[in-house]
Amino acid sequence: MDIWIDQLSFTYPAGVTALRGVSLKAMPGESVAIIGENGAGKTTLVKHINGLLKPTSGQVLVGGWNTREYTVAQLASRVGYVFQNPDDQLFASTVWAEVLFGPKNIGLTMEQATERADAALRAVGLIDSAQKHPYDLSISQRKKVAVASVLAMQTPMLVLDEPTTGQDHNDTELVGQIVEDLKEQGRTVITITHDIDFCAEHFDRVVVMAQGMILLDGPARDTLMQAEVLAQTHVEPPQLMRLSEQLNMQERPLNVQEFIEFWCA
Amino acid sequence: MNHNIELNQVTYTYPGITTPALTDLSLAIPAGQFCAVVGPNGAGKSTLAYTLSGFIPHFYHGTLQGEVTIAGMNTRDTPLSELVLMVGLVFQNPFNQISGTKFTVREEIAFGMENLGVDRQEMINRCDDIMAKVGIRDLAQRSPLSLSGGQMQRVVIASVLAMQPQILILDEPTSQLDPIGSREVLLTIRELASTHAMTVVMIEHKLEWLAVYADRMVALADGTIIADGLPGEVLADEAVWSRGVGRTRYTQASHQARMNGLWPKGRSLAVTLEQAVAGFQAAQTTYSKKS
Amino acid sequence: MSQALSLYIARTSGVHRLHPITKLALAGLMLSGGLALPGPWLIYAFLVVVVVPLSVFGGILTALIVTTVRIVLPFAISVFLIQGFLWPGGTLLLTIGPFALKNEGLLFAIASTGRILMVVTSFLWFAFTTRPDVLMSTLTQRGFPPGLSYVIVATLQIVPRFQARATTILDAQQSRGLNIGGSLPSRARAILPLVVPLILSSLIDVEERALAIEARGFNHPGAKTSLLEAQEASWEPTARWCIAIVALAVVGLGLWLR
Repeated sequence: MDIWIDQLSFTYPAGVTALRGVSLKAMPGESVAIIGENGAGKTTLVKHINGLLKPTSGQVLVGGWNTREYTVAQLASRVGYVFQNPDDQLFASTVWAEVLFGPKNIGLTMEQATERADAALRAVGLIDSAQKHPYDLSISQRKKVAVASVLAMQTPMLVLDEPTTGQDHNDTELVGQIVEDLKEQGRTVITITHDIDFCAEHFDRVVVMAQGMILLDGPARDTLMQAEVLAQTHVEPPQLMRLSEQLNMQERPLNVQEFIEFWCA
Repeated sequence: MNHNIELNQVTYTYPGITTPALTDLSLAIPAGQFCAVVGPNGAGKSTLAYTLSGFIPHFYHGTLQGEVTIAGMNTRDTPLSELVLMVGLVFQNPFNQISGTKFTVREEIAFGMENLGVDRQEMINRCDDIMAKVGIRDLAQRSPLSLSGGQMQRVVIASVLAMQPQILILDEPTSQLDPIGSREVLLTIRELASTHAMTVVMIEHKLEWLAVYADRMVALADGTIIADGLPGEVLADEAVWSRGVGRTRYTQASHQARMNGLWPKGRSLAVTLEQAVAGFQAAQTTYSKKS
Repeated sequence: MSQALSLYIARTSGVHRLHPITKLALAGLMLSGGLALPGPWLIYAFLVVVVVPLSVFGGILTALIVTTVRIVLPFAISVFLIQGFLWPGGTLLLTIGPFALKNEGLLFAIASTGRILMVVTSFLWFAFTTRPDVLMSTLTQRGFPPGLSYVIVATLQIVPRFQARATTILDAQQSRGLNIGGSLPSRARAILPLVVPLILSSLIDVEERALAIEARGFNHPGAKTSLLEAQEASWEPTARWCIAIVALAVVGLGLWLR
């Protein structure tokens, strides 16, 4: 599913202008990371993708659907949104019921919903906790339940809001694996993240935002090396890019494997 | 030795749970040390933070075995209201740490001091001083509720520091902050800790700068200490990685280089940018001579 | 982010500079006049002679009028209709179809509205000119239990936070396809996914917040100090006694006139 954000501007009712004429196009299957300082407008932008916010001016088209003409519940069949705090959505008495909630809402049959819920729980490694009460799990496990409940909807597009905040090393790798699986399945993945290394390793395209505008938009390799622009929005290049720069290497590596390859050359 | 914090064979189990969160844990932290605590989720890091500040056993009941001594006081025998004079605690969610009764940031910072009965002029001086140090002077008249997560967390840190604790415990204090913001907060705490000889215990997942600023690193897994030493040593230890403690990309890169036989022999793996640059440059020289 | 729930309007007026307890005394005077004096015209006279000048001195007259009308108008309309037209017996003033407007009913309605006006304006006058946290710290320093004052002032900030959290949960559940419009059964089904996270996460929040204020020495024994100092002019304590005497006189007058 593709998305076209066209000259989007948004002002909150209280008077704060959070987005100023933002334009962005993503093709089906692209993986896009949005980075930038707190208050840059990242969350405001992605909330327009599933219709939580409607543009003050400009438009947002999700697979041809103008978000102004659809409710959030309707757009939920196209865009899955994983919120940062799992406690904002967990309400069921079992993990299983929680993960079934989304698929049932978007009109799947019980059979289809069960199949997808099962796959989603396996993807996050919590299939054995299916009958537990979500609040009996730790906060990082609850975060995985929240992710699973959106994965189960198998939407063509996903928005992940800070999926690695508060996660430890193994959990972060798991999220990375999930992103790779989604990419393989041809789904469009859009994420907001502060973890620049995670961003470099899993996202092909990076959009840098500051003060309601896009500063940079391009392939990860190109955008993430522009240290001065990134510094304007309180972000640093990934660890390996800084290393390769200090070693006067020509190429910019996105992950450890590439670094070793480029260094050996 | 003058240890500010001493844990002696501490085992703790939360009420209603069968498995202990901490098992037979012993730890001694000298005054003025900046000690980082790392480990996977569920290792007991937050439990440790609560134990070090007396909230275990006074706030979270449950079974506490062993002895915990903070600034010479045994936490079991000393009331919590006295322990909080010695120990400042900052945890992850800034929204739940603001008092909820103050209308400006300046007053918010004074909240703790008011509770302790600090003299008014002294409060004014400390507020101004700490706001300057933490870099939030421009937020002085703002309502705490109107701040972003990152700004709010800085206000929380300032409010705790204004109480002038001997020991500062921080449980993932930068989770709401962007990368440069995180680094700035870490640096501020490092500087304040040195100038005020404050003991700092910081739990973090973001390893890169922690490795640079911390004096010592303790790795926790399954309620016990699995490594304790210099950050450079702990994070370069393969045994530690296998228990779920993270590592920086520099460590991963140097490890991969070593596996390919390209890392200088006898050199420990890089943990920080500096070490990585030095290591790879040395490797360059060594191996270009060979070829 | 959100703003605290507060009626306070910041101004640099003579009234704002008064000590909270003095203002409390003045509000008490307004209230005593409004409730003790026989109606209806004395009540309105009191309103004009006491409340209006004090509001002008506070720079809040417009806000007071607007808010008072908003609050009192629905009451006034209903009391006029009910008491005016349904008064049993009494002197007839005019007839509108089957409904008869009685003089006694009309006077009663005017008096009732007058009393409500006095109650509302005295409360609003006080709330518009007094910071709740300054009031609370003043009362605490005079012996009010600190836990209670914390709860009262904290509620002002927590309510909007609660509302913001409720909105976030609504967003999250809608994003999973929850339909909040539509038929009654579907709306009923939407209640649990909205209410449960609100309650559970609020309980977690409350626990964390209790820990946080404990960590900031809230239960430290001994007197608390205050950064903010309510200013008190030297003549104010005497003035408060005078106000109390006047209030008693007004109540006495009211009882005597009945």
